Amino acid sequence: MDTATIVLWIIAIAFGTYAWRRRDGSLKKGGELAWKTTRQNAALLVIAFFIVGYIDLLSPTELIQTWIGPQSGWKGIFLAEGLGMLLPGGPYVVFPLIAVLYQSGASLSAVVTLTTSWATLAFLTVSFELPFMGWRFTLIRWGLGLCIPLIAGGVTLLITA
Amino acid sequence: MRKYWIHLVLILVTLTLAGLAFQQGGFSFVYEGILRGASLIFHEIPLLVAAFLTAGFLQALVKKEMVTRWLGEESGFKGILLACLGGGLIPGGPYAYYPIANALLKSGAGVGVLVAFVTAKNLWSVSRLPLEIAILGSRVTIFRFSITFLIPPVMGVVASRLFGPMIDKIRRGIP
Repeated sequence: MDTATIVLWIIAIAFGTYAWRRRDGSLKKGGELAWKTTRQNAALLVIAFFIVGYIDLLSPTELIQTWIGPQSGWKGIFLAEGLGMLLPGGPYVVFPLIAVLYQSGASLSAVVTLTTSWATLAFLTVSFELPFMGWRFTLIRWGLGLCIPLIAGGVTLLITA
Repeated sequence: MRKYWIHLVLILVTLTLAGLAFQQGGFSFVYEGILRGASLIFHEIPLLVAAFLTAGFLQALVKKEMVTRWLGEESGFKGILLACLGGGLIPGGPYAYYPIANALLKSGAGVGVLVAFVTAKNLWSVSRLPLEIAILGSRVTIFRFSITFLIPPVMGVVASRLFGPMIDKIRRGIP
């Protein structure tokens, strides 16, 4: 079990204990609400996880490496933003991948853009965002977010140039 | 049918990816993808259960008026900062924090607050930092973190200014 799971269980148990001690039906109500949300989203979650599985399997590491290469400048930043959206999986998968790209000559600004783009814009995240937040919120959050990796990479480029 | 269009989009994406897998390695690759997805689900079940329970208790315990006052569209910058703190501290992947964001949205949180929450989770995430420093090195991490540090609250303010009034539509649009 990883740290995230343990911390979330501690939070859940703390909330649960508090709900139980209130003795006003909060514990039962909370459990029912949790079950309702689970039921409503179970099918979507399963599909989203299959998407993660496939992207993990197809992960085109070599292709990315040839695209981003040792090039820098604004072109590298724009490219890195697009690539970041496609990066598969969580930090355990993505950080080693980015580290490989960095060691093989990608510029610091491209690496910062890539990391930021993955963190804010990844399509995989969107496949979890859509069911829980709806398309309007997803569009607003993702659309506004488009400028974030460009800012991060651009500032890095200006500082390191 | 309208209710299920997100299912449809995600199924189409899955099928496209399965097609790509078939092209690369035939049926055994298609099967391998399904296997990886399934093993991920089983691996993440403990986290998912905790996330859904947290979201459920949050909704049951916190009164709507309280969320509206602290995190609603009227809460202003204070609400946005509070959401940034929450987002930065909450652990786990998108299947953990989106159920919680969903609970906050249902209980009365505003657009700016929710955008700030998700963006802070993405950029501040305290639980991810040690891993980032260990694998990508302190140079990359310091650049990325310090340059994007102000972005979550700024995004929250921008989203609230531009899309604040849309919150009812957003709330009605979720399943």
